[in-house]
Amino acid sequence: MKNTDIQKYFKEVDDIVSQCDRCGTCLTVCPLFGVKDIESSSARGKNNIARGMIQGVVKPSAEVLDIVNFCLLCRTCVDNCPSKVKTDNAMIVIRQYFAEKNGSPGIKYKALGGLMKNRTLVKFSAGTLKILRKIGMNTLIPHGMAPSEFTRKQYLSSFAGPAALGSLAATSPIDLSNKSKVAYFKGCGMGMMFPDAVEGTLAILRTLTEPQIIDNMCCGLPHLAHGLRSDFLDMAKENISLFEKADVIVSDCASCSGTLKHIAAHFTDDPAWQERAAAFSRKIMGISEYLFQVGYKPQHRVDVKMTFHEPCHLGRGQGVRKQPRQLLTAAGKFIEMAGADNCCGGAGSFHIDYPAIAQSILDKKRINIENSGAHIVVSECPTCLVQLNKAAVQSGNKFKVMHISQVI
Amino acid sequence: MIADEIKLKIRDIVGSENVLDSNVDCFGYSYDSSFVPMSAENIPDLVVIPSTTKEVSAVMAIANQYGIPVTPRGTASGRTGGCIPIRGGISLALHRMTQIIELDERNMMITVEAGVRTIDVYNFCAEKGLFFPPDPASWKYSTIGGNVGENAGGMRAVKYGVTSNYVMGLEVVLADGSIINTGGKAIKNVTGYNLTQLFTGSEGTLGVITKAILRLIPMPKVRNTMQLMFPSLDNACNTIHKMLISGVVPAAAELMDKISLQAVAKHRKLDINPSIEACIVLEIDGETNEDLQEQAKKIQITANEFDVIEVRIAASQQEVDDIWAIRRGLSSAIGAMAPNRFGEDISVPRDAFPETVRLIRRIAEKNKLTIAVYGHAGDGNIHPSVLCDLSKPGEEQQVHDAIDEIFAAALSVGGTLSGEHGIGITKRPHIAKALGEAGVNTLKMVKQVFDPNGILNPGKIW
Repeated sequence: MKNTDIQKYFKEVDDIVSQCDRCGTCLTVCPLFGVKDIESSSARGKNNIARGMIQGVVKPSAEVLDIVNFCLLCRTCVDNCPSKVKTDNAMIVIRQYFAEKNGSPGIKYKALGGLMKNRTLVKFSAGTLKILRKIGMNTLIPHGMAPSEFTRKQYLSSFAGPAALGSLAATSPIDLSNKSKVAYFKGCGMGMMFPDAVEGTLAILRTLTEPQIIDNMCCGLPHLAHGLRSDFLDMAKENISLFEKADVIVSDCASCSGTLKHIAAHFTDDPAWQERAAAFSRKIMGISEYLFQVGYKPQHRVDVKMTFHEPCHLGRGQGVRKQPRQLLTAAGKFIEMAGADNCCGGAGSFHIDYPAIAQSILDKKRINIENSGAHIVVSECPTCLVQLNKAAVQSGNKFKVMHISQVI
Repeated sequence: MIADEIKLKIRDIVGSENVLDSNVDCFGYSYDSSFVPMSAENIPDLVVIPSTTKEVSAVMAIANQYGIPVTPRGTASGRTGGCIPIRGGISLALHRMTQIIELDERNMMITVEAGVRTIDVYNFCAEKGLFFPPDPASWKYSTIGGNVGENAGGMRAVKYGVTSNYVMGLEVVLADGSIINTGGKAIKNVTGYNLTQLFTGSEGTLGVITKAILRLIPMPKVRNTMQLMFPSLDNACNTIHKMLISGVVPAAAELMDKISLQAVAKHRKLDINPSIEACIVLEIDGETNEDLQEQAKKIQITANEFDVIEVRIAASQQEVDDIWAIRRGLSSAIGAMAPNRFGEDISVPRDAFPETVRLIRRIAEKNKLTIAVYGHAGDGNIHPSVLCDLSKPGEEQQVHDAIDEIFAAALSVGGTLSGEHGIGITKRPHIAKALGEAGVNTLKMVKQVFDPNGILNPGKIW
């Protein structure tokens, strides 16, 4: 890597981390520090190892990269920090720096990035999982990456009785005649692991409009998060072009909608793409955000206690908090659980890289779900759903896990 | 460097998962919340995380035997480099000693381990209607052991005093590993020297505090917040003096100067009347709402005598939170005004507050620097923040000169170097000016008695 590149990365990081006053507020909220209470787990620890590296006090070593990788990017620290230091952004830039310094982000992330950049492979994986589910072999896939999806049909037959099954989707009061053109952005995780939820999203959208189905690229978050920035930018450009005709782009994955909303920030110094990226980002909406805005009324109300696990990229990432809760209040007996916005430990591939730590974080989540007394825990992110499915099994199936598009 | 066989012994005591020795892990224990620059020399050789007093004692015995420096640490929220292990050795991280041992409601005392967070002490007592008043700004994350070690203050000091006013007894591990208990629950206690108060504020140089017995008071039933805007700093200070003399004692009396107010206004996008030179935020508390209204009325009358421009009495919890958000967000707002910021912590007789601020103004002009001033006007504890850009040539020297002059100003009005942050590393060069040579020698003699090998937090205070 050229010296000027290093300077560029270091300046970008330093602008963020030099704002850290080292007070220690983040120690009390960081989910990782909560299960592994050594300084380097915390946001303060990470920001300051970055500072130490920039100032030459510590060498940029594999150990430093380990510390930088050991971050959920959940933004709990950012939300609570008196100076709002964007630790997640700093970690992403340092990961990028290391990927370029080492010539690669490492075999694992490169393989993952390669898979998710390839539409055929993503579809192929989804197909394989479908077959595995059919023959009941999905539970053999490690890390819960092949969860048994609890479908809307199963949900209604379990909790609402068979009568509910035949009921038609209620028409939304929204005037559909001169509607803006709505496109659906299909996230890789949703497509691969939660096809019933994807169907649910599309069915709901069809009650309101005729959604454009576009064969989109991955949102690029896995690439951005692990030092594959140029792949991220390539896919972003392709997505921007693919969706140019849409007025609203709806995603049922909080990580996708969160990432896509922020795409504009990555093109600010690229005159050719700057405006197109900004226009693209402005069109993005999460499914519950969109449905709330258009005044969607859930298709059925079921007498079942449900709670909401707020994905990091939805609440802290996009400020979407009340919308899913209000939709759920209309769809069932909504109960707010303690620590609903605490990270579940999934965080992209974090739960695969650090299974024991992710499990400790998930245990706290499971206890909160159990204590809420909810029969259904609802979320809006496939990685969260994977984690929550593990928690459901560990709780002896005291609760079911569903995507919001399956219950409203 | 600590030899491998010594590390092995220490691992045997606390369990090897509670010892860190990789350079990057240890790096995390080389800084605190002060402006001490990062340095490879401050990285400890070993981080030891004990869970019991017995473990602390056994680690100290080994450290003493081999002459290894030991620097106790809570959550490193200190502002003067107190827990930075500048001579290497062991960083003794006490944040896992989090047992609340006993809440003795009849005697109104709580016994806690050193690693309990201050806010947890407060909340635990509050549930039983009891009140632990010391509230340093860091109370949400600082540990009680650190607060006792630094004798931390806070906003409530004007009415309720500082940490030392609540420490009844301590369990302390001495340099050689022996464990002593000082003080106790008896309110009158003149048996031997008052070691409790000697260890309180000793900054980890005399022993490792592992437990504290803290005195509690009944929780005030009601509280409210007021915000007063004045055309001059003197008018604001005079209002506070007159209030206190007349017997109206607020639970907190925080003062902000114009520069601080402008920083907050900019940060929070507020419009502030340009004729306002000073703002006071008051917390009042009492037994009944009538009681609060009475206090607020008296305060308003006093403030009117000093041409108060604006009086705001919070009418809802939302308004209380809004007003305090201005004060709590001050440090970050000021920090955001310049690339570098040096926050100080001088303390002066209450009556000298306006004079000291005037002296600070002159120092700012002379050194061509911006210095924001805010502080606990009710108790004379002032936090001047020197704003600067160290990348500008010559600015570092100006900042150092300004800080020297601020300390001289504090001493000239009968004040002192630190009200609540301690001396640590950052104020060490100035201590002789405050205490005199004989005074510093006395501290050294005390240290020699407790820690003859000089292993406990070496290089601090003087």
